[in-house]
Amino acid sequence: MQKRNKEMGEFSNWFKQTFKNCYCEKGHLIDEERFEQLVQLVLDGEADEQSKKIFEEKISTCVKSSFTYEKEKKIQEQIKSKLCAHQSELPSDLIQTIRKSVNL
Amino acid sequence: MSEELQNEDQQEELVIDAKQSYSEKEKADIFDSEFMIHVDAMYSFAYRLTFDEDDAKDLVQDTYLKAFRFINSFERGTNAKAWLFRILKNSFINNFRKKSKQPAQVDYNEVEQYYNSEDAGKQITTDLRVETVQHMIGDEISGALNAIPVDFRTVIILSDLEGFTYEEMSKILDIPIGTVRSRLHRARNLLKEKLAVYAKEMGYAKKK
Repeated sequence: MQKRNKEMGEFSNWFKQTFKNCYCEKGHLIDEERFEQLVQLVLDGEADEQSKKIFEEKISTCVKSSFTYEKEKKIQEQIKSKLCAHQSELPSDLIQTIRKSVNL
Repeated sequence: MSEELQNEDQQEELVIDAKQSYSEKEKADIFDSEFMIHVDAMYSFAYRLTFDEDDAKDLVQDTYLKAFRFINSFERGTNAKAWLFRILKNSFINNFRKKSKQPAQVDYNEVEQYYNSEDAGKQITTDLRVETVQHMIGDEISGALNAIPVDFRTVIILSDLEGFTYEEMSKILDIPIGTVRSRLHRARNLLKEKLAVYAKEMGYAKKK
């Protein structure tokens, strides 16, 4: 548990530092590639509450950040939904074969 | 230590870590109620790794056989899906990866080194539009996913198709959580790059 908390703390610091580095002194987004990585972490639900708050504040005021966020979000949603709808079908005999192999 | 040896060790761990002593009835109950409910996801994962129906079936069957043999190392009520996926991933590396029918793989270390290089970010930034992805069908996106190296493909499957958290993925793949983070980001960039190239070839990129 302690190890996990330490890891989360380090991650939170890394997130904030990386986020800061995405912007110039005037607050303009200058590193889209790095920002996209942070967007993915937020979309995956991996950012802690504090990092998420900083992130959300920024995208509500910066057009470029908001555009990048929305674009990434929509692309991820499209890819996910199309991949999920394109799953291979389970062979009809597999369940029976498995159960037989373990004598159930 | 080679990856293969590590995985053999991890299977040894399954035996050593056996903390439970289930009755035959309990074993059957756990197998049915906690393991078999994931068979669809397991098969889908296996198929995306092997690209072959028979290999995928063998891989899933082998995984369930191991899960049953080592069932005493599984704690009832914990994350059975992640436990099964970990066994499947190890079985794939040990038994199936070498004979997998997929095209020649890019050397994983080479790819990881490339993406860790300072200037890799600029080169992999793709102009992939939302509309472009909207025009594509599942078959085309699956094709692009299948074309990326297996270690990158795996993290996308685990995260985006199976919904595992980074922590769960870290346990399934036996890699630090930071590596999950960076590998997933690189994997998604690789996928986007493949999709952008494909869209250009098919003329989707021009559509608005």
